[in-house]
Amino acid sequence: MDETTRTVLQRVVRKVPATRLREVLRTWGRVPARQLDLLDFSTSKFVLFEDVRSLCEVNSNRLTLKHVCELEMIYFIGNPAQGVWRACHLTEPDDDVMTVELRQFKEQFKARLTELISNVSVKIKKHDDEAVWIRIAWGDHFHRPNQLKPTYVVHHLQTPYVFVYNLSTKHKPLLYQALVLATRHGSMKDSHLSGKSLTSIRDFLMRSYQQAFPTKYARPLQEKNTAPTNPNIEKEHAEQEEKRLQLACEAFGEGNVPRLETATYKLETRYRGSGNETLNNREEPFRALIKFSSANLLVSLNHCVSAGMAETPVTPLLSSITQKGKNYFVITDKGSGNSSQSMVQKK
Amino acid sequence: CLTSTQLVENEEQFQKKLADVIVNAEKDVSVGVRLARRLPLPVENEETRPCIDLVVFIINLSFERSFQSVELSLKYVDPGFFLGKVCFLVTGARCWSVSSDRLQSVRKLATSLRCPLLYAEDQTVEGVNTAAARLLRVLKVTAGLTPWATGLSLSTLTRCTLSSDLEGDFD
Repeated sequence: MDETTRTVLQRVVRKVPATRLREVLRTWGRVPARQLDLLDFSTSKFVLFEDVRSLCEVNSNRLTLKHVCELEMIYFIGNPAQGVWRACHLTEPDDDVMTVELRQFKEQFKARLTELISNVSVKIKKHDDEAVWIRIAWGDHFHRPNQLKPTYVVHHLQTPYVFVYNLSTKHKPLLYQALVLATRHGSMKDSHLSGKSLTSIRDFLMRSYQQAFPTKYARPLQEKNTAPTNPNIEKEHAEQEEKRLQLACEAFGEGNVPRLETATYKLETRYRGSGNETLNNREEPFRALIKFSSANLLVSLNHCVSAGMAETPVTPLLSSITQKGKNYFVITDKGSGNSSQSMVQKK
Repeated sequence: CLTSTQLVENEEQFQKKLADVIVNAEKDVSVGVRLARRLPLPVENEETRPCIDLVVFIINLSFERSFQSVELSLKYVDPGFFLGKVCFLVTGARCWSVSSDRLQSVRKLATSLRCPLLYAEDQTVEGVNTAAARLLRVLKVTAGLTPWATGLSLSTLTRCTLSSDLEGDFD
């Protein structure tokens, strides 16, 4: 087994928790089940790696780099939450965009990418839920593809959505070009949405979460608020609370919302505060970066509004997170007129 | 017998716990608790609102906003209430990260209004129960259920005072 294959295999065995390793190896299917059953998964990872390696090297299972990369891919598909996923979308569809189907896409993508960059290793797999997974290891004129830092791409055919993991700026134009040509679109743009959980950003982008819509007639109080346990306890501001909750849910969804971790605002506006003389009279914009982070951002923002910490109606700066499906915004003076007035209070 | 108290708290956390304990504690007196974030109270509820016997302002010393909100709300209290029917309840006084200035401002406020200032511990069950019991005792007096005392006489005895001796105690 050569050095690269060994290294990739070692990384996989080390990364996958022992409890999951057995089923990952089984799904892989390259080692017969009876040999897998002989492995002892309770030993240390070092010993386990040696066992797995010798199994792979056994004559009947002479497994190559390609197969080991497949193993890594299988584990990754089952556990995509290992870093930051970024969303992009395809624009300007051609007339025949709906005719793209899997086999054609695979051929076209591989062909285009290898045309653009010669030393690259591509693996495409279709997952159960209609998503196409692509694993790309990049190389260049002087180096073989680097299998230790692959890029993963997830695309649902016939939708404009593409999700990318671990793509460097150097390779971005190449990937975009290959995807655009393979899917018969005109161009590809960054969606300004990123998050750790692939399923969350996908659900968020496709709006498949529980949303509240503005209603003319407010619902009866009993449905939304938990009824006070004792009829002797009464809330004075119950109506306003109900209204705040409704507005919060309209802006940020309710129930099980997709898990976003951050929202970032890059300000390129002129400073308009009252205190600081030196900052006030500058000609060039006051550059600032504001970042909100939370374990579940939408729930936190919903709480901010419904508890009265943030003003209602919800400022468009915050509600555009869900309205536009983004979590990275650049605010310039022309774009948002009241960027300095809508103050959001954070505890 | 029917009594009614109004709890005003900006964060709306402690008041719920207090309310639950208060209404369940008393068996022979029916206590009504009304919860609000701030004053003025909404006009819509005026007709159904019973006569309030005691107004309790809850201030959480960890939040500056808590104190500011109470200061703003005080403007909407009818002056008659200050003769024994208003009381301040402070939480978080034991927290060492809170500056003593804030507590001093609250005490100054309570002293200037001649109102009692109670301290409560809101993180434990015993703390909530103790605070509820104290409020109930005050409430019974202000509602006229205790024959030998009135709200005004009680508040004269228990009202907050600022004394230079006490200032050195807060380390």
